[in-house]
Amino acid sequence: MAANYWASTQRRHWLFSRESLADVRERLWEKDKVTHSQFPLPDQRLLNIYFNQRKTPPLQEITTCLSLSRTHQIGQAHDHPPTSHCHGPSISQAFLYKERDPPDKSLSGPHNGLLPGLQNGRMPPTHPFRGGRSTRALARYEFITPDVAKLGECEFALISEMHSQLIVHHPYRTLSELQTELALSSDEVALAWSVINDHYLTDLPLLHPPHVIAIMAIIVAVVFKPSPPGAYLGSAQSALAGTMREGQGMNMLAALSDKPGSGPPKIQKLVAWLAESEVDIKAVIECTQELLSLYEVWEQYSEKHCKELIGRMVKSKNLDK
Amino acid sequence: MSLTNPPSSGSISARARTSLKRNLQSFDETIDSRRTTGYTSKVRVRDRYHIVGFISSGTYGRVYKAIGKNGHKGEFAIKKFKPDKEGESIQYTGLSQSAIREMALCTELSHANVVQLEEIILEDKCIFMVFEYTEHDLLQIIHHHTQPQRHAIPAKMVRSILFQLLNGLLYLHTNWVLHRDLKPANILVTSSGAVRIGDLGLARLFYKPLNSLFTGDKVVVTIWYRAPELLLGSRHYTPAVDMWAVGCIFAELLSLRPIFKGEEAKMDSKKTVPFQRNQMMKIVEILGLPRKETWPGLASMPEYTQLQSLVLHRQPAHFHRGPNLEGWYQSCLKNGGYSATSSAGTPGADGFDLISRMLEYDPTKRITAEEALEHPYFTNGGSVSANCFEGIESKYPHRRVTQDDNDMRTGSLPGTKRSGLPDDSLLRTAKRLKE
Repeated sequence: MAANYWASTQRRHWLFSRESLADVRERLWEKDKVTHSQFPLPDQRLLNIYFNQRKTPPLQEITTCLSLSRTHQIGQAHDHPPTSHCHGPSISQAFLYKERDPPDKSLSGPHNGLLPGLQNGRMPPTHPFRGGRSTRALARYEFITPDVAKLGECEFALISEMHSQLIVHHPYRTLSELQTELALSSDEVALAWSVINDHYLTDLPLLHPPHVIAIMAIIVAVVFKPSPPGAYLGSAQSALAGTMREGQGMNMLAALSDKPGSGPPKIQKLVAWLAESEVDIKAVIECTQELLSLYEVWEQYSEKHCKELIGRMVKSKNLDK
Repeated sequence: MSLTNPPSSGSISARARTSLKRNLQSFDETIDSRRTTGYTSKVRVRDRYHIVGFISSGTYGRVYKAIGKNGHKGEFAIKKFKPDKEGESIQYTGLSQSAIREMALCTELSHANVVQLEEIILEDKCIFMVFEYTEHDLLQIIHHHTQPQRHAIPAKMVRSILFQLLNGLLYLHTNWVLHRDLKPANILVTSSGAVRIGDLGLARLFYKPLNSLFTGDKVVVTIWYRAPELLLGSRHYTPAVDMWAVGCIFAELLSLRPIFKGEEAKMDSKKTVPFQRNQMMKIVEILGLPRKETWPGLASMPEYTQLQSLVLHRQPAHFHRGPNLEGWYQSCLKNGGYSATSSAGTPGADGFDLISRMLEYDPTKRITAEEALEHPYFTNGGSVSANCFEGIESKYPHRRVTQDDNDMRTGSLPGTKRSGLPDDSLLRTAKRLKE
């Protein structure tokens, strides 16, 4: 239900196991095997970074993104009675990305359709440390909507793919709720927020409930707190990649799971809180590892390379026509 | 979904049949004629449903009655959101906020007293929301009791309707959903007497909103059912606005006419929201003036000065008589023939207490859905049936499923901001003239 994650369509229809997600992708890959082996695309996460960094992709890219999702990465995720017209995971991710930006303007023009609608529940609260973003985002949205009809079509396709299940429970809310309880500093909250931003580049939103993600982000922020603290500009990648790689992180996680009582007071407090709560620690650790591996992959990211590979695929399939 | 509908009578005339054809064509027009190379739905409305007729139309689009096809059993109401420019070649124009809200919320909601969504089909630039079919709604039930001569809705039935309505509303409120458009036309009733709250086109989540609710929607709730804090320009309103509407509906079920039937002041050209003087007056006539002593937040309401000018400029006698809801209630019971010895029974003193708590000026003191369900009106006097028709002899006419939509298309009548016709007398006159 709208206010209860446990009864939500998000939990009932959009939570996958790693295996089932892999199966889905495998099946889709098989469907269009030839193209995929001829025109391999970069790692899904790199593609995600690519689309995400172009916050307002030109219209053609939105369409491309859609067509790609349709022909490539996703589809038939789960049979969804009674209609079985479901497609799957990565399109929902594409969607999640889009709607992370402030909901000022409709994706498709004059009627304040998609994005404000999503505000009803989908949208995270605007990040306090990302002020000023919204006006810029607004301006960009206006730039990309010369062709309302096409954008409207994308909106249709997306909503249909998502079975009109548009309300998403985001980890941001859990983060805000735990801020006081765990006495988090504003720097820690800002960093955790950026970590949550980054997790949308991975499969994590489809694998774990939002509170697990939020706790992972808090732990990462508290444990790996980089110095000097400062602007994370939406992503925590540059701030965290180094620290996490140095490996203290994994030791810290070990401490979290079996040695309460060691480490700095703040971390002790967090450990105690975790022990009392019924959070799945294993899942939290898994999420941390996933994030770490995202930051590793990120280092190979090349916008040019992504663009080229996508371009080739698009051309071969005539998707740009 | 406002399945506004008068009781059916007589047979369908030849003219009506032609117009039925026209209407069903309009259901088809987008579906059959166009093939696009872009987005196509994997599910086609026509493959799953057989459209049997037209129910109603509003600003959002039209509602059709349908039956399931190919082993997909049951009756359905299909709400088709119209593409914006009809007639010309249809383009994607972006979804309306109301459509998005209803789609997003209805997919998540599931409760015995909230209308059941079957599925949503996005096909050929139109949205089709498929709901369970409901044979009746409160507006139609109220109509039925006003003709040929007025006869009261049995007290037991009112009690069951109200209980189910509150039960559905409690579910919405505990899930942080404000309905914001409760009125008889939006309260649906199935043939087995189950009440379903319908039309969530104005509903929204109110958990920690980013902006005040006022910023999102300047005007909510059909004027006759609009709570005083909304009339006085409150920016931050609460579920209490829905409870006020329930109070109005309760009163209307007993008296068979809207309790506060004001005239809506139109927005001016500058799009500023006008003070609804006439509507406020109607409330004051029965409840007396709201006072700072009993409603501490009153003086900080944006339209407080307007309220004061209301007192200064016109001073009819009733302003000084003070609250007279009890007088209204007693004469309503008398006119309706409600008494312990009559066949209709009576809502009694408990009924009055409940209605007066729902029509409480101060939203912070107004009874909540949860409290109302525990009120003596429900706890005294035996169990409440989940079938509001239980033990009721009168048969309610089926929902009229027909023909032309011309007389339902209105934009300027009171309370037609979004859909349907709230004014039964107008609707009936129009219908009679046609027949």
